[in-house]
Amino acid sequence: MATQKTDVVIVGVGAVGGILAAELGKAGMKVIGLERGPRLTTQDFSALDELRYFQRQELRPSSKRQPVTWRPDAKTNAKPLPILNYGNQAGGGTVHYGALSWRFHEDDFRARSHTIERYGASAIPADSSLTDWPLTYADLEPFYDQAEYELGVSGRAGNLQGRKTDAGNPFEAPRRREYPLPALLPDQSGVIFAAAGQKLGYHPFSSPRAILSQPYQGRAGCTYCGFCQSFGCHMAAKSSILVTKLPEADATGNFKLLTGTMCYRVNSDNSGRVTGVSYYAADGSDNTIEADLVILATFIYDNTRLLLLSKTAKFPNGLANSSGQLGKHLMAHIGARVFVAFDDRYVNIYMGPSAQKHSLDDFNADNFDHSGMKFVRGAQLSVTPADLEAGPIGASISMNPPPGIPRWGAAYRDFLAKYFARYAAFIAQTENLPYADQTVDLDPHVRDQYGMPAPRLTYDWRRPNEVARIEFLLNKLEELGRASGATHVWRSPTGSGAPGAHHEGGTRMGSDPKLSVVNRYGQSWDIPNLFVIGSSTFPTMSGFNPTLTIQALAYSSADAIVNRYKKSPGALV
Amino acid sequence: MSKHDSTRRSFLKRAAVGAGAVAGSGLVPDVYTQTLEQHKDAAAPSESHATSIQHGAFFNYEQGTTIAAFTERLMPGAPGKAGARDAGVLNYIDLALAGAYADLQDFYRRGLAELDAYCRTTYKQPFAQLEPARQDEVITTLEQGKAAGFSWPTAQEFFNVVRTHTMEGMFADPIYGGNRDFAGWRLVGFPGAQGNFTATDLQNKQTFTRAPMTGLQAQAGLQAQAKNPQRTE
Repeated sequence: MATQKTDVVIVGVGAVGGILAAELGKAGMKVIGLERGPRLTTQDFSALDELRYFQRQELRPSSKRQPVTWRPDAKTNAKPLPILNYGNQAGGGTVHYGALSWRFHEDDFRARSHTIERYGASAIPADSSLTDWPLTYADLEPFYDQAEYELGVSGRAGNLQGRKTDAGNPFEAPRRREYPLPALLPDQSGVIFAAAGQKLGYHPFSSPRAILSQPYQGRAGCTYCGFCQSFGCHMAAKSSILVTKLPEADATGNFKLLTGTMCYRVNSDNSGRVTGVSYYAADGSDNTIEADLVILATFIYDNTRLLLLSKTAKFPNGLANSSGQLGKHLMAHIGARVFVAFDDRYVNIYMGPSAQKHSLDDFNADNFDHSGMKFVRGAQLSVTPADLEAGPIGASISMNPPPGIPRWGAAYRDFLAKYFARYAAFIAQTENLPYADQTVDLDPHVRDQYGMPAPRLTYDWRRPNEVARIEFLLNKLEELGRASGATHVWRSPTGSGAPGAHHEGGTRMGSDPKLSVVNRYGQSWDIPNLFVIGSSTFPTMSGFNPTLTIQALAYSSADAIVNRYKKSPGALV
Repeated sequence: MSKHDSTRRSFLKRAAVGAGAVAGSGLVPDVYTQTLEQHKDAAAPSESHATSIQHGAFFNYEQGTTIAAFTERLMPGAPGKAGARDAGVLNYIDLALAGAYADLQDFYRRGLAELDAYCRTTYKQPFAQLEPARQDEVITTLEQGKAAGFSWPTAQEFFNVVRTHTMEGMFADPIYGGNRDFAGWRLVGFPGAQGNFTATDLQNKQTFTRAPMTGLQAQAGLQAQAKNPQRTE
């Protein structure tokens, strides 16, 4: 057992931890980062291997060693989820992600107020905990800008300082300047999607991604190999934290990364402050770090689990949980999906960065009139390969054949043979509302490799508001499919109520200490030297992928810590 | 003799194609599946069965025969269209169960035993000896969860896992023992791991044929060349 002292300990060195490590290190703070997984290098990603990275999920946690259980409701026994959709190495999920880099809309930050203003309070389901963020888009805009420029995001502005540009996304919130890099080239699926969208009067555009369309900051531009979502980038054109902020953190001389370590407790004293963390090292030893500042920056499961596991006499319901909100309001994106396939042409969707390639924003947020509809909020619509990743294993596992064609046998073989290079998926990534009874807690029966209780999710997205939205969106996707000129258009089943991608919630941020766990900087209301940063603090989720907003929040917190907290440690709000 | 010769010939042919194809195609799978084929014709299978070469990394002979037949029905071969047997799916699953999927060994053991019991009860014959139409009937019953006598794995669980592994064996890089000679990739028109697509490629409405298919072994070779150019002739 060893004890180390430091200014700051960061638990989890991914999208958030890497940014904090670099920014705090630059300000002269001594930082130790605890990372459960390894630190890989770009050279490790030379294998463009679908089995290894997509199917066997090598860059994600093992569902056997790190189980996370799920049950649709409190009456049902929870079972381990077969696939865990987050990162498990230095750089976190940004190593394997599709690198979609969206700024949330202005009304995403005030979804409750906006909905009431436009449709009245009765439009919000009575059991939903839909709420406003404790900060506005304008508050976060400088940090979105910083993230885009420091990391390297490719895209085209749709709204420059309030002026629509006739390019990019016309629904985006005003940005101070253009993206640092031009938009990525569309592949054929993007061209098809764009033509269909334009035909119907919508506004398609090349999705903004943290993938270099040109050389930037010493890294080469993307070569459109397609091994993107699920994979580490073999040429570091993906602006993952691994190749952007971690080298920066190293260069400060103030950052020490401990890989293969599992934090199991945040330690605190009776004065109401945290004193550091305890962790298991790679050799199994039990160690302690004493720190002035503790930052939890793991995926949402562990941000919540660690606080629940760190309960004390002072905090019997979990550390920093005087509000009783810890673990509540779990959200996740659900993907409604329609396939299109062409008899008269190839699409070759395996070319170009995978994940959401081209998008349209006409049905996201409150960008369309919900009057008379049975739901509020919307979804981002995009074209992608079957399971975001574009190889034939993904297609054969994730693409249901059209009605009338079985899932195996000669007819299925012929379906795959004919359409693998001739299909595309149109998907809607839905903004599901928060509900207080969708939770993360500790599984009383299942334990992980360290003997810690597994995070248990209680969640079912199939609420009336969400089911009505999915049906509306599936019809829109089919309409787009028909407009694309596809020979065949068919739906994918919407599946069980299990959470999809991009989990949010559990350590909700807010402006009222009684109704939230942390303030707008991720600082615990109860314990000022404890920060929790990441999508676990999102009060609502937006239809957009969360990573750029997570990163902007990390920059915002870093700014507040360096420029305010460091001089006068105490509550920032 | 002749079997050996044809194996050797195809080995040399692949060796000429490039480093990727050699290890990618896997020598063990050829030998293994061919000896299984041999067994079908052999008068006294139990004798040759006793020699070690017919056993794979995990499956015993009966199990291997059943999986070969089952996966071939899931992805049947036809002239010009590679199926599970052509791609070496059995070899892929066999190697996976001895390695990455070792935790599924009992799943397969029990699932195969349940399948065998079901077929013997219903048709008085093991799965591999049923006519293809009957085999399809059995698989449909499994897929629909209607086959009696399955507890763990359930019939549907067993079907789903074998289907998933069949697709992996068809389409995973040949280095894992299936997708022999890129049979699966050729079937669907996937060019494999291409490091680069040009702007022209991205706008191509035709099938992509500009570059040869590349497997992991070939990629590694190219990287070695890039690192040590003086060592290549």
